[in-house]
Amino acid sequence: MALLQFGSLGLIATAPVTLPGGGFLPVLGEVLGPGLILVLCIVAGIGTFMLLPSRREGATRKIGGAVLLLTLLVLGATLFRYAAGASVTDGVSPYFWIFAAIALICAVRVITHPRPVYSALYFVLTVFATSGLFILLAAEFMAAALVLIYAGAILVTYVFVIMLAQQSQTANSRPLVGLADYDAVSREPILACIAGFMLMGMLLFVVFDRGQQLTAVPEASAPGARGLGESLFGPNLVSTETAGVILTLAMVGAITIARRRIPSAATSAGALHDTQAEPTAVDDNPHSIPVYGTENPRQKAYPET
Amino acid sequence: MNEVILQHYLGVGAVMFIIGLIGFMTRRNLIVMFLCTELMFQGCAINLIAFGRFHGNLGGQVFTIMVLVIAAAEASLALGLVVLLYRHKNTLDANAWRELKG
Repeated sequence: MALLQFGSLGLIATAPVTLPGGGFLPVLGEVLGPGLILVLCIVAGIGTFMLLPSRREGATRKIGGAVLLLTLLVLGATLFRYAAGASVTDGVSPYFWIFAAIALICAVRVITHPRPVYSALYFVLTVFATSGLFILLAAEFMAAALVLIYAGAILVTYVFVIMLAQQSQTANSRPLVGLADYDAVSREPILACIAGFMLMGMLLFVVFDRGQQLTAVPEASAPGARGLGESLFGPNLVSTETAGVILTLAMVGAITIARRRIPSAATSAGALHDTQAEPTAVDDNPHSIPVYGTENPRQKAYPET
Repeated sequence: MNEVILQHYLGVGAVMFIIGLIGFMTRRNLIVMFLCTELMFQGCAINLIAFGRFHGNLGGQVFTIMVLVIAAAEASLALGLVVLLYRHKNTLDANAWRELKG
């Protein structure tokens, strides 16, 4: 049924939405035509494909970014027109558009930036914008918790692991030089973009075209942080305790995993080196200074040897 | 803010989820792949909170706290595993573990 309507509405439903000039008040049910969603998703998929890291020219990625930004603008403008002319009284707050734009643009940069540290930093921006959206939804406690847990705890762990495990990169002004191959080249970008944006088209279609009866808010009473606390430690006490158990288990598991002693790929199994070796005679060549405790040539004192 | 247009928040959540999904499929760095799962968690959290606000109850926020707990547990375990895998092969490339696909 839905598929049939998807096909039959086609590009017809987009006509009232994309009509230039004001005066048209979109009736409910024609917010975003399926054809418009389809076109936007295809264009956004092409843009994302061009923007994903690969050993291509820098100009291609810039064009991809511009295409993606344009798509986002068109989508935002269409939704804005709907929100401005909708039957609800005062539409959506302008902060919603700001926060949503920051969140989505930074999310795109998270997956398209070739350097992982910058990805993590863009993710921090996404977290901040999302917490702004939470405040607009009258969930102040969740906004604070999101910033504290994500930007404060999880992201610090990520950045720490990136610094721990990332191979040393030479500072270079040219893009993608000095990056590891697995950072600079994506895996199956075409297939991933097709699958992802097909799913996005279906989701947006369901949300905007089939979710019309969801627009009205039955009651505007926003329960605050006090209500949340009473709910957490009242009817949801068991799940709160379960959350504590899960966190404890994760901590124990992480310690257990991280404490295992791994023979490196370079060393033979179990051959741990004595860090208190006999001092050798010093000669003038700095490259002859032995570095104990590692077989990884990247961690040696003079990596150019 | 008297009125909430729920669909806009649902749309933002859906788009963010899809962006995370594409990133998870395309990136080859293990750390960035787990960052993309965090993006997907964010999309889910936006959906949950928007629905909770829409229905005027606290179920969405309670669920979001559970999502945060799972995200924190997943981040700690996943990063421990990433460090372990890095010490095995000295690389963060997910393709270095292709033999695991069975």
